[in-house]
Amino acid sequence: MHLRFPKDWALPAAAVTPEPLYRLAQRREFLKTLGIGLAGAALLRPSALLAATAGFPAKGNPLYPGTALKPTAEEYVTSFNNFYEFGTDKSEPKDYANKGWKTDPWTVELAGLVNQPAKFDVNELVKKIGGLEERVYRHRCVEAWSMVIPWDGFPLAKLVALAEPKPEAKYVRFVSFNDPAHAVGQKEGNLDYPYVEGLRLDEATHELAFIATGIYGKALPNQNGAPLRLVTPWKYGFKGIKSIVRIEFTAAQPKNTWSVMAPDEYGFYANVNPKVDHPRWSQASERVIGAGLLGGRQATLMFNGYEKQVAALYKGMDLAKNF
Amino acid sequence: MSFPEKLLRSKVFIWTLLVLPGLWPVWPVFVSGNPSVGADPLKYVLHHYGFVACVLLATVLAFTPLRVLFPKSKLALALNRHRRLVGVAGFAYALLHLTAYLFHDGWATLVHDVWAKPKTFILAGLGAFTILLVLAITSVNAFVRWLGGKRWKNLHRLAYLAAALAAYHQIYARKLFPVQVLWIFGPLVVLEILRVVRQRTAANPEAREKM
Repeated sequence: MHLRFPKDWALPAAAVTPEPLYRLAQRREFLKTLGIGLAGAALLRPSALLAATAGFPAKGNPLYPGTALKPTAEEYVTSFNNFYEFGTDKSEPKDYANKGWKTDPWTVELAGLVNQPAKFDVNELVKKIGGLEERVYRHRCVEAWSMVIPWDGFPLAKLVALAEPKPEAKYVRFVSFNDPAHAVGQKEGNLDYPYVEGLRLDEATHELAFIATGIYGKALPNQNGAPLRLVTPWKYGFKGIKSIVRIEFTAAQPKNTWSVMAPDEYGFYANVNPKVDHPRWSQASERVIGAGLLGGRQATLMFNGYEKQVAALYKGMDLAKNF
Repeated sequence: MSFPEKLLRSKVFIWTLLVLPGLWPVWPVFVSGNPSVGADPLKYVLHHYGFVACVLLATVLAFTPLRVLFPKSKLALALNRHRRLVGVAGFAYALLHLTAYLFHDGWATLVHDVWAKPKTFILAGLGAFTILLVLAITSVNAFVRWLGGKRWKNLHRLAYLAAALAAYHQIYARKLFPVQVLWIFGPLVVLEILRVVRQRTAANPEAREKM
């Protein structure tokens, strides 16, 4: 008799959204974008068609499947957003990011200490990279809530390879857009804009580091950071800079927006760590988004459950100091 | 008696005003199905009740300065009939807020944030709650008699400390400064400053004693 011992991160089979249902929904969307009922779809969801759509549908990456983790309901992922460029309330980005802010066409620049500086149209870039893949990742916000999101995109390592960093490049600096005329939060100046994030080069080339251009098999909605954003599932969500316009390779550690705003509260690394509290709240557990009124508090996992994959990156470092 | 005065004197009217904000979350959580709320409905409830508690605390504290600044206003007088009711309602919302927090974050988180690694913003909130609890209990007539007017009044001045702690709690619960705090507690601060100025400059020493 074969006994199967579930891994500690695996959810019971009953908790998983039936995959056929999830795939079916994806296929329907795909058929829509192919042109069946195109006129109707264009009338109903113009934004979905205007955004970068190259490369869909993405192939699922079997290493990061949706079967081990239950994806959060799509409507929550697209209406509960921290995107301060479009307001600090989580309900605001869905509204304000879809009022005349254009994410197509979109150019992203590779710059700094590289042999191949370049500017790419996002769709061209996706083709050059060789298409998209889907990965289901945990997502943990620094505010102690979490989601599970099926991302579509490509490994950041492929983009780094395209840029060919010079030997003196040690960090990657990401810069988001700056358009106060269309971004109400930038107009208010609630943070220093443009939003900036950074990774160590070895973090950027780690297999988990991902550039997403879609969620749930469709192009990223504006409020989720269209047309392309960073996804580093072992770090707090604020590292996942949205709507990137510039990726720069540097010798010095970049100053990321939140760590400049409140250096004692947000660091450069921002690795998910249940043992290191935020100065104002505990990080030991998290609220599961979409679990209903009385459900869903769970223990936070070291590196958000990706300890095996990423722990080696931080060997010998004091994680309480390098928070 | 004017209609606004009649309205403000009415217990039913004030009760209605106090109860309605408590029912408000039913709409986004159960009826409209707003996904921005549905993502974490209890968090919404928690923030809402905390917000109402702060508004009521600031409101009830504004009653006295309003009466001092407008001694002839019947409306200010009418409001001052409901000081106990509004104050106790503020405590009730603080209790709802704390209860929602315990369901949302859990006892383990509370113990951690109070005992293992104390967080000033949680301690401030608990401090404000404790004060409101004591004031609510001692708000019954028997306690007023037992403590005697002067001691009772001194004890209930702790409400100002509770308001300051609540404002701190509200500010430090957020990642960025919430402007909300300014329009909740700002008017109270202005009224209190005006009241102190008025009392200092009151020529009539009798009037000063009445304050």
